[in-house]
Amino acid sequence: MIKPPHGRRTFLTHTMGALTGVALWPSPAAVWPTLQGAPVRIGLIGAGRQGRAILTELQKTPQVEVAAVCDVLGGRVESARARAQSAELFTDHRALLEKRADISAVIVATPTHHHRAIVEDVIAAGRHVFCESPLASTIDDCQALVARATGVKTVCHAGFQGRSNPTYRRAQTLVRTELRDLVSLGGQWHRKTTWRVPATTGELDRAANWRLDAEVSTGLAGEVGAQQFDVAHWLRGRYPVRVTGRGAIRLHKDGRTVPDTIELDLVWDDDVVMRYQATLANSNGGQVEVVHGINGSLRLAWTHGWLFKEADAPEQGWEVYATRQPVLNQEGIVLIANATQLAEQGQLQEGAGLPHPPLYYALMDFLKSVAENAPVACSFAEGARASTVGILANQAITTGRAVEIPALA
Amino acid sequence: MGTRFELVIAAGSNASRSPRDLRAAGEAAIEEIEEWHRRLTRFAPDSLVSHINRTAAKEAVRLDEDTWGLVLDALQVWRDSRGAFDITVAPLMPQRGFADSAVPASGASVGSGGLVLDPAARTIRFGAGRVSVDLGGIAKGHAIDCAAAVLRRHGVGHAFLHGGTSSGCAIGRAPDGRPWRVALDPAGTNVLDLADEAYALSDPGSQTTPAGAAHIVDPRSCMGVADRLNNPAGRSVVSGPSARVADAWSTALTVLGVVPPAFPQTYTARWISP
Repeated sequence: MIKPPHGRRTFLTHTMGALTGVALWPSPAAVWPTLQGAPVRIGLIGAGRQGRAILTELQKTPQVEVAAVCDVLGGRVESARARAQSAELFTDHRALLEKRADISAVIVATPTHHHRAIVEDVIAAGRHVFCESPLASTIDDCQALVARATGVKTVCHAGFQGRSNPTYRRAQTLVRTELRDLVSLGGQWHRKTTWRVPATTGELDRAANWRLDAEVSTGLAGEVGAQQFDVAHWLRGRYPVRVTGRGAIRLHKDGRTVPDTIELDLVWDDDVVMRYQATLANSNGGQVEVVHGINGSLRLAWTHGWLFKEADAPEQGWEVYATRQPVLNQEGIVLIANATQLAEQGQLQEGAGLPHPPLYYALMDFLKSVAENAPVACSFAEGARASTVGILANQAITTGRAVEIPALA
Repeated sequence: MGTRFELVIAAGSNASRSPRDLRAAGEAAIEEIEEWHRRLTRFAPDSLVSHINRTAAKEAVRLDEDTWGLVLDALQVWRDSRGAFDITVAPLMPQRGFADSAVPASGASVGSGGLVLDPAARTIRFGAGRVSVDLGGIAKGHAIDCAAAVLRRHGVGHAFLHGGTSSGCAIGRAPDGRPWRVALDPAGTNVLDLADEAYALSDPGSQTTPAGAAHIVDPRSCMGVADRLNNPAGRSVVSGPSARVADAWSTALTVLGVVPPAFPQTYTARWISP
């Protein structure tokens, strides 16, 4: 008997050829995207926590130069310089657009209710734009941004990250091929935090804590749920038609009116339901989406993903090569793109998650659209639809009534 | 970072801020620690450290100002301790029974001399020979420094935070006006009194594998510190302005067993018998 050189999977890869492995998983280009073409000079508008996370990811790409950072608060923009060494600093985005004609692409990471005005200015200035999700906080603003983006030659990318995530892209094909008919969907976002941020010098508390301001905030449904609802829309290829929900303040009884805990049912026209929970009062389980089909289930946790097969589901040839992990007392097949090759190259331990955070992949998709004319991974029209579902879900919570979701063009 | 961080903010002594604002400031500080954990862990494939370990042998990796400062401090302690503290020890850990990095370090060589820094471009690159960065000996202190900066930026003048009790930072004084007091042993025989000062304690026996291998390794000999027949000093405690510098030096002193001439004058070293 010939002893496998390293292990069963390694042995199979060696003896049966890498072709099967390549056919099984997406190409390494999905996991390790590279940027071709001319360097891209970027401006960032909004230097809060999300803006700083964006700067961290952009720093990984040598072809990207962050040439300007803007925030209405001088202290915040100064602290952003730590992650953008050569950036010119601005406190007015219009000044950035006027003065830095050399900047071809702008990333907008301001509070949601400011997106429309700023993004419209960016488009009018002829720059490519990446707008963080959700696209806007009202349906009118969403539609206005779609109208403004229609027909322009620049890239308009909405930052819904699931569509750019290699693990989720792998999952999308498995929904069709492995799960077959859908039974139900689920999702949760659990994080124990007040969702309150301390106002910095010169900032009003209400402005700093806009997510807790019912006049401008779309709450947990709009601010975090929309990102996850979009995963469900995208995996299904269709949007829900109705949403019901309820909300409560379970922990943070500090005078706020925006619920710290919500539950939603999003219903599709074939009566498939996505049950969604989000809370600021408990952190168990974190952020996850699940898709149940008659032949199996997918559990998607942003940097990780697993497929669980039903006992009576047919076994596929590629499962021989699959990495498996125990997850919640079950054995899941790990959805890591090109895991076998990466392990062979010593670049990734088997079973580990993605080598970059999901935000990185969304930004790389945007940059590839800018530099290489690649198709836009999430258009403003798609971003507006996803944002609208979040806005209407929040409406269902605040009114306590079922809300019909119109057919979204 | 495999440990529990705790934070105390003295509400009554921070009169200019409401309890609600102070809690928000505390959460911002904890988020800062969580962010640095995500960036500096060698066990997650999507961390900055994993990115450096995958990339820096092929091309220079740009660093932000904070991480750049962290690496500079680590290399300063490496030089001043003559190699007793070294952020390239990762290959030794799996050999000793500890978990390997997400980007496997086995096969890499040890020695910070293999790191090439470009101050103008603020980049790090691996020179000749394969090395692997492990910031575990300094990351906790760095996260505490950054979290303390967040608290100070939001007007917190009296607080104490620590990570796993072995590294910590006092902001101002305790509510009673006295320095924050840290007991260095269960009986409270040895104490540190801190006001606007950080500390780190290094104990070679605090983490061991089931086989008894200690987590602190002498990078020069590749031997575990607790494996040596005579560890003359036991645990070392360093206090001073920065938790990350104290963190690195406490490890170096535990390895060295003595305070070297290049130990920084703004820091204080002491020993606790095993």
